[in-house]
Formats: sequence, structure tokens, C-alpha cells
Amino acid sequence: MKNSQFIKRSEYIWEIPVDFKPGMKVPARILSSPRLIEGIDDRVIDQITNVACLPGIRKFAYCMPDGHVGYGFPIGGVAAFNRDEGVVSPGGIGFDINCGMRLLRTNLTLDEVRPMAEELLNELFRTIPSGVGSRGYVKLNRAQFNSIMEKGVGWCRDEGYALPGDAEHIENQGMIAGADHKAVSEKAVARGIDQMGTLGSGNHYLEIEIAASENIYNRELARTFGIDRENQVLVAIHCGSRGFGHQIATDYLRVFEKFVRQLNLGIKDKELMAAPINSEEGRSYLRAMACAANAAFVNRQLIVHGVRDVFRRIFKKSEEELGIRTIYDVAHNIAKFEKYEIDGRVEELLVHRKGATRAFGPGRPEIPSDYREAGQPVIVGGSMESGSALLCGTEIADREFFGSTLHGAGRVMSRIQAKKSVRGDTVKQRMKDKGILVRTGHMPGLAEEAGHAYKDIDAVVEAVDALGISRKVARFYPLLNIKG
Amino acid sequence: MPFELTDIHTTADVGIRASGQTLSELFRDTALGLISVIGETGEFKEIRSIEINLAADSLAELYYDWLSEIVFYKDAERFLPGRIQIAELDEEKPKIQAVLYGETINPSRHTLKIDVKAITHYCFRIEKEGLFWRGEVVLDI
Repeated sequence: MKNSQFIKRSEYIWEIPVDFKPGMKVPARILSSPRLIEGIDDRVIDQITNVACLPGIRKFAYCMPDGHVGYGFPIGGVAAFNRDEGVVSPGGIGFDINCGMRLLRTNLTLDEVRPMAEELLNELFRTIPSGVGSRGYVKLNRAQFNSIMEKGVGWCRDEGYALPGDAEHIENQGMIAGADHKAVSEKAVARGIDQMGTLGSGNHYLEIEIAASENIYNRELARTFGIDRENQVLVAIHCGSRGFGHQIATDYLRVFEKFVRQLNLGIKDKELMAAPINSEEGRSYLRAMACAANAAFVNRQLIVHGVRDVFRRIFKKSEEELGIRTIYDVAHNIAKFEKYEIDGRVEELLVHRKGATRAFGPGRPEIPSDYREAGQPVIVGGSMESGSALLCGTEIADREFFGSTLHGAGRVMSRIQAKKSVRGDTVKQRMKDKGILVRTGHMPGLAEEAGHAYKDIDAVVEAVDALGISRKVARFYPLLNIKG
Repeated sequence: MPFELTDIHTTADVGIRASGQTLSELFRDTALGLISVIGETGEFKEIRSIEINLAADSLAELYYDWLSEIVFYKDAERFLPGRIQIAELDEEKPKIQAVLYGETINPSRHTLKIDVKAITHYCFRIEKEGLFWRGEVVLDI
């Protein structure tokens, strides 16, 4: 599709009308800066317009500024379906159910951490399992794993793996309601039970980051979220539900095959398989998806527990002195029931966010009370060379975009191309020259995750800030990075 | 070449293109391609074996399930094979009987690259072209 076929609705909104493809029920809208829209992949256009064909979709199928090719939905895809007439699609959630970001604040500053940087990096690498075949430090029996699936971070609180304030600062307090372990296959359990508290591999990471005052864009909001000192040390964690969530997605794609003909989806992409929300299969998937989402919240929480332990040992300070607190934890691969007003009527919708983040504006009851006046924190992960960004949800996001925004920088270069373009040890040296130390179990993997394989995080953040769907709060730059 | 890794379909992940003179060769070599994304196939010694018995409604489903089974054992038993022996592969009534020979993943001894978490349906293909069976698979990383 040529960009000239887009209808430009504003500086940052590009619309693809319903006559673009037979079967489209609503237009698709791509949120992008004029510069980023030039490089958009035709396959993204194809995928987001396929989404616009799904039954029960409301308003628009959206693609966020960090959008890139996915399976079924593009990564960066947001679509909402009416609870009675609509569908649930695992392709709109992703294989890695509740892949997400956790951001922690500390009382430490760069000056305190720099002398211990190498020791801290090595101890984190030793303590937080990462890479292929890694197993978590908590040995779980089946009853405990069932409890994790259904209670989420509530299980961590009961077992001493969470501090007061952790659950409150996680989306849905770290527990998606409606989870039922009986909706999950034995295979999914077998893949997941030993993996809780592990980082995984691919683009998943644990990063120690620095909040320098020149990169704080909104001091009041930053202070509200606990960023309150010069060169403050933060911890960012990016991972999801590991093999457990992937097996659930694999299992249910097979279950949903029968609906392709029944719903007359007429699509070529099997990854866009969907089932009516109100079908037994649809309900069952949502129960299983909630199990995976809860396991992902627990996975990140167990990593946080390990991080706290390492910091105590390295810095020989108490929990209180270290002040390691959860700023927030966002899910960027998930579907949730939420209410929105459409044409003057409030509808309950199943909002799919696949590589997209919830971004509720000020005043929403779902936001923890200490942040409610500010809006929901949004954590945006970049490449391991660029660090991350903290944003805040807005009323515009709620009103116009089903309370959603971007999730990361988005890849522009394939893994194979990236490995051809640079060597892993070159990336490591380049990062060292910038003051970033990195550890990984697999050096060529560093090349795959090099900064130039991703879009410019500042450009995508700029786009959502200009659109008004999120407000910039701060940018953080990496000091230490662990790659799975 | 029995398999090659490709990025034509995906930016974030990795694809495999494989071919074989027989269906068994295609199944075996696609699986070896998958294992080569995760580790160095030659490093996995024949210490234990896992039997695979699968049946499906179509050949494409069987191909998908076969590769998914390798991913499953990689996580559930931390097992990766270095050799694959296919005893029976029926095209008409799609089913496979095979044995995976390998060992438990050991990070201190094995070169471990990147995790494969799922086989996707995206651009998934298996078909006979002339004398060769050809398959194309995109792996979720």
C-alpha cells in the first residue's frame, strides 16, 4: 500500500478506510509520526486491516507508533470487541501472555553504585536465572503452581516474596480475575512449573538504569512515582509468562481452528484465529489466559525478590535503607474487559493489547490511590543500548484509544540481519565505551539485540506525547544490562 | 542444504526453510534446524532418549505438532536431541513414530543461543515440489 492511500486525520493519525479490503468492519488507524510512517512495513498494513475484519470490533483497529510485524495482530495492535457480539483472538494477545515491564526505584545513586558495578552485575547474573533451559530458584509443587495461576502476586505476598506496596503498584494488583487452572493443559504446566523467576531470552532483560535530572521531563509526576533524587538508580525488568503462556497460546490456537469457517473469518493468516467471547472455548481461553497473566506477574515478582536480595548483599544495607519499591508493572500482551462510551452508550469491551500498554488517565479507579490524580505510569522498554522511558496515561488515551499507548521501541532489523551487521563483542565494547556493562550467556545474541536493530525510542515516545495519549515523565539510561 | 535460517517473513523472530527427498528427511531436518537455533546440535550427546508418537488430522498439523513437541521437551524436561531417528511417518493417515536421542541441557557444557518458545502458523507451509518435500516455519523467539 502506498502511503498516499492513507487518509491523514491529524499530524499523527493515518487512517485506512473500510473499502481498502473486503470484510473490513471498521477503519484501521495507524498512529505514527510523519517520519515513522514512511518506513511502515506493508505487512503491518495487511495485519491491522485483517484485525479490522474481526466480528464485533468497535470504532477502529489501532496500530501504535512502535508497530511492527507480528502474528495475527501486528505488534503494537489494539482492538476492542463487544462482549456479546465480539471475539477473543490469541493472536491479539501474543504467545508470551502478559509479557510486560516492571520498574523499581531505589534510594541509591550512581555514585554509590558505580564502584560496585561489576560486582553487582555478576551477582545479578548469577542470581537471576536467564537463557535457555534456566530454572527458577523456587521449587514449586502442583498445588502451589495452581495457586500462582489463580492468585497471582497474592501468592507471593502470602509466601514472603513481595513487600507491602508491590501488588498495589501492579496492573490489576497482580491478579487477573477469572483464572481457573482447570482451563490449562498438563503440557503448559510441565513447561511452566520450573520456570517461575526466570528472565528467559530473546529481547528480555534486566537492567540497572539511571535517572539523571536533565532527562526528567516532568518533575512533579516523576516525584509522584518515586523518582526523587539526582542520578537515582532504577531497575527495569522485561519478561513474561515463559513457556507456560506460550503453550497455552499454542493449545488454544488449535482449539479455535473450528471457528475460522463458523465465523466466516475469510482470513489467510491462521494466527488470527478467534472464538466468540461467549462461546465455551472463548471463555475457557480467557480463564487460561488469566492463569498465564497471573504467572507472568509472579515471574516478575520473583525476579524482584532476587534483585532485592542481591542489593542487600552487595550494598550491605537494610530493606528500608535501599528503598527498592515497585514504581509500576505493566502488561503489554493481554486482553481485558473494560467499559467505554461509544456513540453515547457505555459498552463492555474486551480490549486486546498486543505489544501495547494500558495508559489510563487521571482519576480512574483502577489506578493506585497514590497515583490516581497523576494517571497510570506507562513503562516503555527500548533496546539494551537506549534504556527506557516512563510516561503517564491521559484522558485522551481513555477517550480516543481505549486507554492504550505504545510498549517499546519496535524492531526494524531482523535478528539475522543484525548478526550480519555487527558482532556481539563489538556491541559489548560499544556499550562499554558508553559506560554500560552487559552480561549474557550468548555473545552473538547481543548483536541480535543491538540498538540499531530497533526504532529510535525517543521518536516513538515523541509521537505518543504529541498525540496526547501519554505524557513524557522521564528517560532512563542503562548502566548494567543482563540479557537472557 | 537440508535447512536454512531465514528472515524473509519476520523482523523479530527466525524462520526455517527445509527440504528433503522424503517426508522423513524433511521432518528430521526441520527439527535439526529448530535445535540449531537454540544450541549446537552436535554438542548434545546420546545420553537418553524420548519416544514420540503423534497422529493428526492433516500433514500440516502433524508437521506443526512434531516441531512443537521438540519445544515442549526443551522446557518440560530441559532435553535437547543431537540425533533424531524417524521409524515411521505416514502421509495418508498422518502419524509419526520417532526417537529423539540427546541429553539434559547443561549451560556449563552446551553452547546455548536463543530460546524458541513456540512454532507459529505464520507463513507455515509443507508441500511436495517435484521430487522434494519442502517446509517453511517461523519460530517465536
